[in-house]
Amino acid sequence: MKIVVADDSRVMRQIVIRTLRQAGHGGHEVLEAENGRQAVELVQTEKPDLVLSDWNMPEMNGIDALRVLRGAGNDIPFGFVTSEGSEAMRQRAEQAGAAFLIAKPFTPEAFDDALASVGVRP
Amino acid sequence: MSVVAPTAPDLAALLDEVWSSLVGAPDELALGGPPPDCSTLWSATVTITGEWRAMVSLDLGDPVVLAVTRAMLGFAEDEVPDVASCTDAIGELANIVGGNVKSLMPGPSVLSLPVVFHGPVQVPSELAASTDLHLSWYGAPLRVRVLTPSS
Repeated sequence: MKIVVADDSRVMRQIVIRTLRQAGHGGHEVLEAENGRQAVELVQTEKPDLVLSDWNMPEMNGIDALRVLRGAGNDIPFGFVTSEGSEAMRQRAEQAGAAFLIAKPFTPEAFDDALASVGVRP
Repeated sequence: MSVVAPTAPDLAALLDEVWSSLVGAPDELALGGPPPDCSTLWSATVTITGEWRAMVSLDLGDPVVLAVTRAMLGFAEDEVPDVASCTDAIGELANIVGGNVKSLMPGPSVLSLPVVFHGPVQVPSELAASTDLHLSWYGAPLRVRVLTPSS
């Protein structure tokens, strides 16, 4: 499977990729995006199976990227990996069409559960 | 009485979680200690605006910045991360601490992108520390503050 990891922090992208590996998902191809706009472009050109996106990014934030994709009729599974895990943020994410929200700091188990919820298996 | 900021125990529990998940060696985090030495100080801040307003600031000396960056990137102990990686790593720490602080407080509010300073942060005059947590990690000091409008 092909997964887009979008985060403006290179360190956090590496941590997300490492955590995917720790969760048993090291076999997937990972494509990195530095912001929401790059994530949208990658979804359109690379046809991945899942997007894992930060919320707060320069250029285009995660929820705007999700809205652009849904507005274009793209229903790719989209999950947030963000430092803001309040109930209000979870509701906003769900209303915009996100499948899940993983709050930072996170565990490999949280990734495995979230990916399983959209049918992505190790 | 209304809640004005997370308490020091709230912040300490949050730091423990962040270290457990992203940095490692949370058992080496200890409460107390002096502020980091100003000559080697890095500061990373985020601001929260909206129903509740605050600046969340992390102050760390060079030894902690290097060790945290190394740990977050999975570097070996003898590898020296570059300035861009250090800036990215501690900015992300501030983002995570700030985002979690935001989640504890009344909303709606908006979290800024992190800003990292090589030196002490200039705190706006209308803000004062509501919570000021001094810690050490492997004996090197770090400090987390939540600054809120003083009036």
